[in-house]
Amino acid sequence: MSADAVVVGAGLAGLTAGVRLAEAGLRTTLVGKGPGAMHLAPATIDVLGYAPDLVERPAAALPSFVAERPDHPYARLSADTVAASAEWLSAHMPPLAYVGTLEENYLLPTAVGVPKPSAFVPEAMAAGDLRSGSRFAFAGLRALKDFYPALLADNLSQAKLPTGVTVDARAVHLSDPGTEADVSPLGYARMFEDREFRSVVAAELLPRLEPGESVGFPSVLGLHEHRTTWLDLQDRLGRPVFEVPTLPPSVAGIRLFHALRDAFLAAGGRLLIGSTAAGAETKDGVVTHVVIQTAAARPTPIEARWFVLATGGFAEGAIFLDSYGEVHESVFGLAVSGVPAAGEPRFVPRYFDDQPMGRAGIAVDERLRPLDADGNVAFRNLFTAGAALGGAEPWRELSGNGLALASGFAVASAIVEWAS
Amino acid sequence: MATLHTDVLVIGGGSTGVGVARDAAMRGFSTVLVDRGDLATGTTGRFHGLLHSGGRYVVKDPKAAEECIHENVILRRIAADCIEDTGGLFVSTPIDTPEYADRFVEGCRAAGIPVEEIPVAEALRREPRMNPLISRAFTVPDASVDSWKTVWACARSAQAYGSRILPYHEVLDLTVEGGAVRGALVKDRRGGEDVRIDADFVVNASGAWAGRIAAMAGCDATVLPGKGIMIAMNHRLVNTVVNRCEMPADGDIIVPIRTVSVIGTTDQKVADPDDWQIARDEVQKMMDAGENLVPGFRRARALRVWGGVRPLFQDKAEGADTRDVTRAHTLLNHRQRDGVERFLTITGGKFCTFRLMAEDTVDALCAEVGVEHACRTADEPLPDSEPGRYYWLGSRVERREPTLHEDQLICECELVSRRRLEAAMLRRETVDLDDIRRTIRLGMGPCQGGFCIYRATGILHQVEKIPGEAANRSLLDFVQERWKGVQPILYGDQLRQARLDDWIFQGILDVAHLPGGWVGAA
Repeated sequence: MSADAVVVGAGLAGLTAGVRLAEAGLRTTLVGKGPGAMHLAPATIDVLGYAPDLVERPAAALPSFVAERPDHPYARLSADTVAASAEWLSAHMPPLAYVGTLEENYLLPTAVGVPKPSAFVPEAMAAGDLRSGSRFAFAGLRALKDFYPALLADNLSQAKLPTGVTVDARAVHLSDPGTEADVSPLGYARMFEDREFRSVVAAELLPRLEPGESVGFPSVLGLHEHRTTWLDLQDRLGRPVFEVPTLPPSVAGIRLFHALRDAFLAAGGRLLIGSTAAGAETKDGVVTHVVIQTAAARPTPIEARWFVLATGGFAEGAIFLDSYGEVHESVFGLAVSGVPAAGEPRFVPRYFDDQPMGRAGIAVDERLRPLDADGNVAFRNLFTAGAALGGAEPWRELSGNGLALASGFAVASAIVEWAS
Repeated sequence: MATLHTDVLVIGGGSTGVGVARDAAMRGFSTVLVDRGDLATGTTGRFHGLLHSGGRYVVKDPKAAEECIHENVILRRIAADCIEDTGGLFVSTPIDTPEYADRFVEGCRAAGIPVEEIPVAEALRREPRMNPLISRAFTVPDASVDSWKTVWACARSAQAYGSRILPYHEVLDLTVEGGAVRGALVKDRRGGEDVRIDADFVVNASGAWAGRIAAMAGCDATVLPGKGIMIAMNHRLVNTVVNRCEMPADGDIIVPIRTVSVIGTTDQKVADPDDWQIARDEVQKMMDAGENLVPGFRRARALRVWGGVRPLFQDKAEGADTRDVTRAHTLLNHRQRDGVERFLTITGGKFCTFRLMAEDTVDALCAEVGVEHACRTADEPLPDSEPGRYYWLGSRVERREPTLHEDQLICECELVSRRRLEAAMLRRETVDLDDIRRTIRLGMGPCQGGFCIYRATGILHQVEKIPGEAANRSLLDFVQERWKGVQPILYGDQLRQARLDDWIFQGILDVAHLPGGWVGAA
């Protein structure tokens, strides 16, 4: 097998790179061990939420943020790239849409009732913006165990917003017509695609709403027919309706995955999901092949001119700490930076304290090419994007999807520029 | 200040204390039991879950071995519901002294422990993951036992006989008048109020902490706290208790319990039973020991590490290696030792012998107060237990099956349903999710609460009708509590899991910014 470019990893970083490369006319193969981490994450593009205090204006906060953290991946990505990547994403989402700017963060409720900062958000989440206060009713679904609107509303009512406003929030529990006690978010997403189901839900909910209340649902309003589902519910209730992300699997994340996957295939990309990149062949500082392993088949090398490593970090299994304390990158055997020295603590006993291992990952040059242990470019034609990048704490900073999108976008730019 | 009057005050809510409360209550004494924390949160809740046959001690500590087998038979009769009858194997691994095996068999016979040598091939057929280089294998009646369940069953039985069980009541001082202990001043750690307990007799069953309680009455009880660490692996790497056939050593036992297997343990003298660390090299030593018993052990997923502190009693304490102190129990009559009447300390021993320890204690109590009541704890089964009806691995699935379509699964790892969770919350009258965990194993599986902590908090908020801030506190405390046992051993797939959990807690829910916030657990 051969290609111009091989992307390893089917998350937001890998697919963003893959779509852009394929659209630029490169023969692109994307190898994914599974469907990627978008199935877990809430689909908001969080660029920078805490630094460590709440960030209201990410564009304004980024310069000092990277000045204080020269090893942070954002130090390799300009604010323009971050903004351009978000614009690019919006253009690839129809019929879904993203809204927002890098200038200001939304504050959207989490499932436990914390106002969480996000820069770019799916349009069906935007009406949950808490910054200007307002009145909210959160709808609970009997059989969905991943959403607790009473706790959510209770906490939101206590929330201290930077704008000084207070939020008026309450819960409404629906006796929806689910047949079983235990329905997954995906199960509900499919039920909501049924008009009859929506009409039953709306009929029960409508008389219990008060004037001026917007309605928050868990993020289960349709999977393939999401936009129709959301707009129809909004029509029936005659007021803004929004989704609140909750525990994985993330229906909104799966929609995002579907949109990018479809764009990749439409651009002529070759998608190999269910294949593990088990290793690579290299020669004179250049990667020549990635070797993939699919179920019981023989290992298959794929030859290409450019490679993108977008396999993720520890959570994705791409970077691995063994029982002796050694850290490994699984495909190219890259050096992992930011690992505490032998004998130093890797983690500390208090959960929310700074975790020494928290920023470990792949160090890169300004073109996002991995560096070896001596700080030299490891392979001239290998680029890295997403959670594999060291120096960030994506979930504490709320920067994960912002970094994935911007770095995936940037490596594709670097490769396209080289190819021309 | 509230005042309670009772015949017997028991200090310590571990297996021994609860055993004493039950025994005394069954013999007609009014009893009150206090513990500074929840029941079974000291040594009792922090061991590997092995119901010893006694085989471990036959060569080195025959008295302890005899006590173990005696009680093993009784607990199988009275607490079958808390026991999984896994059976046990003693195997000679390549690093063991070959001659030990013959001494082991002799010791078992002398102690009355049923022992049978089986061919190595048969042992490997039963436990295919075991080291294929073992040279001999013996079966003994080891089993695994759920200490929390046992202790709560004892507590319910004691309550049925009129006992008052007061968790989270810390003894501030003992009242000594006229050369006798007359009761105690305790503090309700959740309500904040002090309570005076007048008692005709006080039993100190505070295990590794017994010296502190005894000192409050001016008495001496030198307890050597011997720390042991244990590691829970994600799977049942073995389905039989597997022991090295060798003198007791670090990491010589793997116990399959519920859905995990636990390797134990180490033995290290510590100065303070409340203040000790788990060192990285200790963990490495255990991993090596696991590798010797089950090759590939290091590639399996380690869920959690914890330590417990054995209460080892020795009159001449200086310099002893805690491994050499007898595991048999000790009853101290402070009238004879210190001239303080109506005060007994029971310490030493093992979880497996808690009932016997209680029997001896209450026998001595009867003798001190001059009454005669026979002990019945060896005959009357604990609530919900029937002789011979053991717990088995599929029990929870069996219970879950009929309600599959009517009840939600809140903790998928441990098959905890919503109804069960709500019932436990109401029964335990606590908003501490860690108390709930010990009652129904919430959050104890591979994801260590990643998915169920949010759900359980949402349910707690509804069921207990508590303010959001109180619910948030429970959530954050539980996140911290789960992290405590995970962080010293994070590697491999469990690190991957921990990162996913952090993604949920911080990246999706943003719990660090909840109202009330996290100020840090002690």
